[in-house]
Amino acid sequence: MSRLDWVVLVAYLVAIVSFGVWAGRGNQRIDDFFLAGRRMRWWAVGLSVMATQISAITFVGTTGQAYADGMRFLVFYFGLPFAMVTLCLTVVPFFYRARVFTAYEYLEKRFDLRTRTLTSLLFLFGRGLSVGVTLYAPSLVLSVILGWGETSTILLMGGSTIVYVIYGGNRSVIWTDVVQMAIIWFGIFLCFGMALRQLPAGFGLGDALAIAQTTGRLRVMDFSPSLTAPYTLWSGLVGGFFIMLAYFGCDQSQVQRYLAGSSLTQSRLSLLFNAFLKVPMQFLILLTGVLVFVFYHFHTPPLLWNVAEMRKLAAAAPAELPAVQSRYEAALAARTQAAEAFRRGERQSASGRYLAANQEVEAARRQAIGLVEKLNGGQRYNDTNYIFPSYVLANLPPGLAGLVIAVIFAAAMSTLSGEFNSLATATMVDFYKRYLRPGGSDAHDLLVSRLLTAAWGFFACLVAFQAGRFGSAIETVNRFGSYVYGPILGIFALAVLAPAASARGAFWGGLAGEAVVFWLVWRSPVHFLWYTLIGAAAVFAIGLAISAVAPLERTPG
Amino acid sequence: MEATGRPPEDDDAVPIFGTWRAIYAAVVACALAVMGLIALFSAWPY
Repeated sequence: MSRLDWVVLVAYLVAIVSFGVWAGRGNQRIDDFFLAGRRMRWWAVGLSVMATQISAITFVGTTGQAYADGMRFLVFYFGLPFAMVTLCLTVVPFFYRARVFTAYEYLEKRFDLRTRTLTSLLFLFGRGLSVGVTLYAPSLVLSVILGWGETSTILLMGGSTIVYVIYGGNRSVIWTDVVQMAIIWFGIFLCFGMALRQLPAGFGLGDALAIAQTTGRLRVMDFSPSLTAPYTLWSGLVGGFFIMLAYFGCDQSQVQRYLAGSSLTQSRLSLLFNAFLKVPMQFLILLTGVLVFVFYHFHTPPLLWNVAEMRKLAAAAPAELPAVQSRYEAALAARTQAAEAFRRGERQSASGRYLAANQEVEAARRQAIGLVEKLNGGQRYNDTNYIFPSYVLANLPPGLAGLVIAVIFAAAMSTLSGEFNSLATATMVDFYKRYLRPGGSDAHDLLVSRLLTAAWGFFACLVAFQAGRFGSAIETVNRFGSYVYGPILGIFALAVLAPAASARGAFWGGLAGEAVVFWLVWRSPVHFLWYTLIGAAAVFAIGLAISAVAPLERTPG
Repeated sequence: MEATGRPPEDDDAVPIFGTWRAIYAAVVACALAVMGLIALFSAWPY
């Protein structure tokens, strides 16, 4: 990075952290710390809901995925608008009128304490793992910039975020998110515009899309009914619907955002705001990744995006690497030549030549990846997350590169802060104040809430150390969530939709549903987008069956 | 444990659309239109 980039990055981070501290001042009670005094307007909550979901992973992981795999990941968001409407009609009024801190408190009122405890534990498990990956992605960016190891950058990012969250509470999180989202939107348009502008003269958006289409990267709609194929229209629409239902309806990191609304209307509007904007925004981000892919037809992309691994490989395989590098460069030259034909309107005749060259580029890369994996004792290598930050640093003008990196950082920190805040809330309200010390003073409760925030931050760092080996960051976060979302959603469905459901049915149904999901994860080829639906259906069916057997256990709704 | 701060209100006016039913219909119509446009974008012969 240039000196100007560093100035922009440091100035931005100082400003946003200072603003967060200022906005979060005056927390006296845990109502303030966890629910921002329930005084927030829909647009602020709506932007915060959006910012909590859009972390640095959205830039780093999604754009990298679009570069490597195309835009089919977009279907993951297709179920979101329908899920938002469903939530506004069902659980949001229940939560709001029950005046709870956590979504899981409602389950004790509806069923019993053990069902609440089980569901809260599932949330802590899934979100606790995901937050580690959320921390890993921006730390990865920092490691690329500074040339440090990922361990150091994870500790730096995690540590500074923990400090910020401990002070600010939910009000600070929400107001910081409002500012972040404005800048994130600016960053999205900036990156899209720059990627488009940096295509060669005479090479327009239509030519770029033609190339991307030839490789299948524009393919979004896959109508295959297969349960094992990734990102089909049905898995996105149906599976994605249930994932979004679970994420926005049962995940405390989101529920806590809209519980801060000043009225039920404000909370509902905050979710519908996201229903309108989420899919177009993801489309733009994915398209930016595709444009970066086309951009690298006319600029030389590295053989491996992870510079540290490339250096290790160069030292360990001095005889084999040059041959792979030569093969790669020859394939790139052939691909550039074929891509030029698209500009001259010779797409039909050049397509075959172009595809052969592109396949050769990918084959050379696979060969290099094979060498890295051999060098690392068979450990899986994935550099998808390095693509976008590498592009930004190498190709954006001084100042703008720093701004985009700053946006990635600050967005990540605000997302992390919301997640640390929600993990601390669930631990504090569902366990500490429920089991250990129900009648603590405000000062004591605030102190414990802050200590729990620190503890969750530390745990996130531990998970982040392992996150690099899991693959694409965005997919990993969603995969971790899908391990627990099904059973949580199933228990909430029993609570809201099945008056006949008993406490015993909900508890044992939840455990059985989790067993079904773990069986799917380890023993079946079913794609993770289906886990939530199958898990929720299993809980609902088993829970109802047990309730029918033990009708006397029924708890009135 | 109940939040003890400000009492909840749910009688705010529904902005722009007037009724919840109209907002929900608009969200669903918009989502379907966006999906249709994306399908068109994906299949367009560039």
